[in-house]
Amino acid sequence: MFNYYLGLALRSLKRNIVLTTLMIAAVGVGIGASMTTLTVFRAMDNDPIPQKSRQLFAVQIDNWGPDNRSIVPGDAEHFQEQISYTDAVGLMNAKAAHRQSAMYKTGAALTPANTDLLPFQVQIRAAYTDFFSMFQTPFLVGGPWSADDDKNHADVAVITQKLNDKVFGGGNSVGKSINLDNHEFRIVGVLGAWAPTPQFYDLNNDQYGEGAEIYVPFTRAIDGQMAGWGNNNCSGDSGQPGWEGHLHSECVWMQFWAELPTAADVAAYRAFLNNYAADQQRSGRFHWPAHTRIRDVREWLVYQHAVSDEVRILVLVSFSFLLVCLLNAMGLMLAKIMGRAGDIGVRRALGASRRAIFGQCLIEAGVVGLAGGLLGLALTALGLMGLRSLLSEEVSRLTHFSAADITIAIVLAVLATTLAGLYPTWRAAQVQPAWQLKAQ
Amino acid sequence: MLKMTHLSKAYRTEVVETYALRDFSIHVREGEFVAVTGPSGSGKTTFLTIAGLLEEFNGGEYQLDGANVRGLNDNQRSRLRNEKIGFIFQAFNLIADLNVQDNIDVPLRYRGFNAAERRRRIQEALGRVGLSARSRHYPAELSGGQQQRVAIARALAGSPRLLLADEPTGNLDTQMARGVLDLLEELHRDGATIVMVTHDPELAVRAQREVHIVDGQVVDLAAQPRLVATANANT
Amino acid sequence: MQFRPIISAMRRNKVGAILIAVQMAITLAILCNALFIIQQRIVLSQRPTGVDEANVVVLDNQWVGNPPDVAARQQGDLAALRSLPGVQDAFATNTVPLTNSGSSEGINLHPDQKTATARAALYFGDEHAIAGLGLKLIAGRNFNADEVADKAGYNDRKLPAAIIITKGLADKLFPNANAVGQSIYSDAPKGQVPIVGVVDRLQVPWVSAGGWGSTFNDNSFIAPFRFVGPYPINYVVHTQPGQAAAVIQAAPKKLFDISRARVIGKTRAMTVLRTEIYKNDKGLVVILAVVCAALLAVTAFGIVGLTSYWVAQRRRQIGIRRALGATRNAIIQYFQTENLLIAGAGAAIGVALAVSLNLWMVSAFAMERLNTGYTLIGAVVVMLLGQAAVLWPALKAASIPPALATRAA
Repeated sequence: MFNYYLGLALRSLKRNIVLTTLMIAAVGVGIGASMTTLTVFRAMDNDPIPQKSRQLFAVQIDNWGPDNRSIVPGDAEHFQEQISYTDAVGLMNAKAAHRQSAMYKTGAALTPANTDLLPFQVQIRAAYTDFFSMFQTPFLVGGPWSADDDKNHADVAVITQKLNDKVFGGGNSVGKSINLDNHEFRIVGVLGAWAPTPQFYDLNNDQYGEGAEIYVPFTRAIDGQMAGWGNNNCSGDSGQPGWEGHLHSECVWMQFWAELPTAADVAAYRAFLNNYAADQQRSGRFHWPAHTRIRDVREWLVYQHAVSDEVRILVLVSFSFLLVCLLNAMGLMLAKIMGRAGDIGVRRALGASRRAIFGQCLIEAGVVGLAGGLLGLALTALGLMGLRSLLSEEVSRLTHFSAADITIAIVLAVLATTLAGLYPTWRAAQVQPAWQLKAQ
Repeated sequence: MLKMTHLSKAYRTEVVETYALRDFSIHVREGEFVAVTGPSGSGKTTFLTIAGLLEEFNGGEYQLDGANVRGLNDNQRSRLRNEKIGFIFQAFNLIADLNVQDNIDVPLRYRGFNAAERRRRIQEALGRVGLSARSRHYPAELSGGQQQRVAIARALAGSPRLLLADEPTGNLDTQMARGVLDLLEELHRDGATIVMVTHDPELAVRAQREVHIVDGQVVDLAAQPRLVATANANT
Repeated sequence: MQFRPIISAMRRNKVGAILIAVQMAITLAILCNALFIIQQRIVLSQRPTGVDEANVVVLDNQWVGNPPDVAARQQGDLAALRSLPGVQDAFATNTVPLTNSGSSEGINLHPDQKTATARAALYFGDEHAIAGLGLKLIAGRNFNADEVADKAGYNDRKLPAAIIITKGLADKLFPNANAVGQSIYSDAPKGQVPIVGVVDRLQVPWVSAGGWGSTFNDNSFIAPFRFVGPYPINYVVHTQPGQAAAVIQAAPKKLFDISRARVIGKTRAMTVLRTEIYKNDKGLVVILAVVCAALLAVTAFGIVGLTSYWVAQRRRQIGIRRALGATRNAIIQYFQTENLLIAGAGAAIGVALAVSLNLWMVSAFAMERLNTGYTLIGAVVVMLLGQAAVLWPALKAASIPPALATRAA
């Protein structure tokens, strides 16, 4: 029976080719627009580390007090997203989580061994060894440095594959060294492809960037007075002058992540963190009650507004556009079906049940939806290309079609068009058998 | 009132040219009630559409109420039609979406009368056909006879110089048909000029005189009230 | 105009009419807000920096290995840059406008202020800064050479000997007085800092819509420091008109001739910075414009389609009207009036929708309130669109022959 209806549907669609084309075009354009923006939205709203996002937590400590908390208009809950050096080290030393790492963004000039080449700038992330195991970074060769390396402030580094290719022409560079600002660092590992989108562990600096090219131990970076290249906020008091002064100030310029595998661990850490802050109050460093928060990756992305306002607006606009297109298709389907009222009346007179008419018309709607969906996919590809040329490189990295997106597009198209076809179909099923046999 | 001389109307298809009316002449004077009869395909309907300025003709002349119709453009013919002619169709041709009042109103709006004038004319026309109580009803709620009477009211409301009726009782049962014909006769007695196209001899009898068309030409039976039966009598 | 009979006749096609009205309403709502956003973003991207952008070239310089004599090297670099042909002046600083990166401070007028009187962006510069950026001094004077000190990073706490502020900041701090000669109060280190000059305009580095800096976009001050630090420092070079391209080629070469133990970042004129930093805003404008055009097109086609269907459905009725004396124009007017009524309803709903949409966006996205001009423009556009779209089916309807009325049903 389905095949019969399918055949009928196709024939009916072919009979009034203009109307059918308009319907498919309407659905296609609507799907194209909405899927284009939805693709970017999903990329921005992406859980960059789904297998562990519920176990990784960003840590916040209020080290400025209620009078000085960083103000974000319209968001009373908001306070410092980064932490101070004092707290970073204090929390690392407490070792209260299963795994943890303080980290910050820095950089240096890398002088290649080949003196014909000019030195070039590299982005560096200073972190502890747990960074790699927490975030499950893949290694091509070698591995992370050891906990001892952290303790000994060792001159070691992990580099990315891209940098490895650039400096060493690829291959196993473990054991070789690189020159950062006139200091040699021994390579212990080369990372494979790893670019979580967004870069959740440091949203304040470079949300959709390429990330660091080199990783060095936090302790070694501090030793070497490697300045923070990221966001530094001192709430008006940058403390004593000099590097030491900066370290002991209440400026926030570092990030802290903890891995807490179970709910019990989470509760325990929350308690620990509050105790830590309470201790700071007791010792006179803080003059306010403990104010701390931990948020897992998902919550952190929401808190940080990972999805830009522009993208939200575009998603809203494009889905409204889809709605208009579907209403359009509904109108055209209504016209088409009611124009065929005579045909339907005859069918009913010959014994077709309401349900049969219903089914036939719904299948027609479904076919239009499918065709519209395919057209929409093609238009989405075009749309994404357009976005890539119009928007900055950062956003361009978010414009790639995944298999999931394709499925969503087709399902959305068929479902939405069928829904839009419900009313016209219902009207068709209401057509009385005898009535339409009489002339107007 | 209505004067056609040597009128001809041809329909051209790709291959063939057919003359629906050929050297057709007719003269209807003011106040006359004329029946136009003939077998199906004789050209009666074509005569009606041309008389009603619904179509153009090829050869000959047509004068309506003294005005020469040839060479008028579409707008002029629409105006003339609106002012001078009242139509009564076989299929009533009321607009189903409008109620009785609004149906009668249609030609009055195109005439440009103001609201008060229109209201007066509608009421008068409804009174004339005896349907004042039904002014808000929709055509679907009326019987065939009532619908035709509404159509007649619509034709009358603009005070036309000429009433053109096309098989006015064709879609009605005998009783309703009688009612409509009684009404037409009454209108004629009150001075209306009526041209009625019909193939029903019993109907034709009620008119003052009869014009018989065969193959697009007239066989004028002036001043003879009775129908002359021909060999191929119409059914 | 015969509204009542037209409305009465529409009852048979209620759903179709509602569909068109709703489409027009949504189109109107989106159109108004999109046009508003477009205008906002265009205005945003055209805000002046106060800098002679076409002739100011920026490059960042990073020394390999943090040498101890950075200050001297920097002076050497700057002298070399100033000696290049086509260069008016040059200086070193922490940041420039149009980069979305920089530093800001709360400005106090008195000690022990709980909240700052104003917020301002901080630029470091010496006596070459004003000429280096092409700023316009409108009151007071430039820095003297002896007022300038070295500052080794943001952390190097020194009290500025003086500051030069922008007119925007001056108006905020001293609305009724001349800012020159007044002082601001610095918290760390503590002390008064005299204002010696006012420049007409120097935009803060941050330029995103509604983002950091949008509330104090014209408030900046220049502190007389030679900024030296272990990270990239910006060299700002003001060229003679038309010489920017040549200097962009020559400057890095000259610097590398002095020493190769450095990394020089992209060298470009500030006009390039402007293009890059506003790229997404411009992109948004284009996207919204395209969507608006598509919306109008889809709605128009919908009207054409549905109205054509109605014309076909009412063929006989139209023939009857013609037979009863309607001219071709009368038939066209009928459909245009019908469309006007639907569009009117759609526009009314649409305006309400546009305003509610805007109010929601104001709360969700820190947007501004829509001004009524846009709703008016939107309503007019949508109604004109409807009238234009219905013209073709109306013309088709007008060509239905009156003789149709006499054909058998």
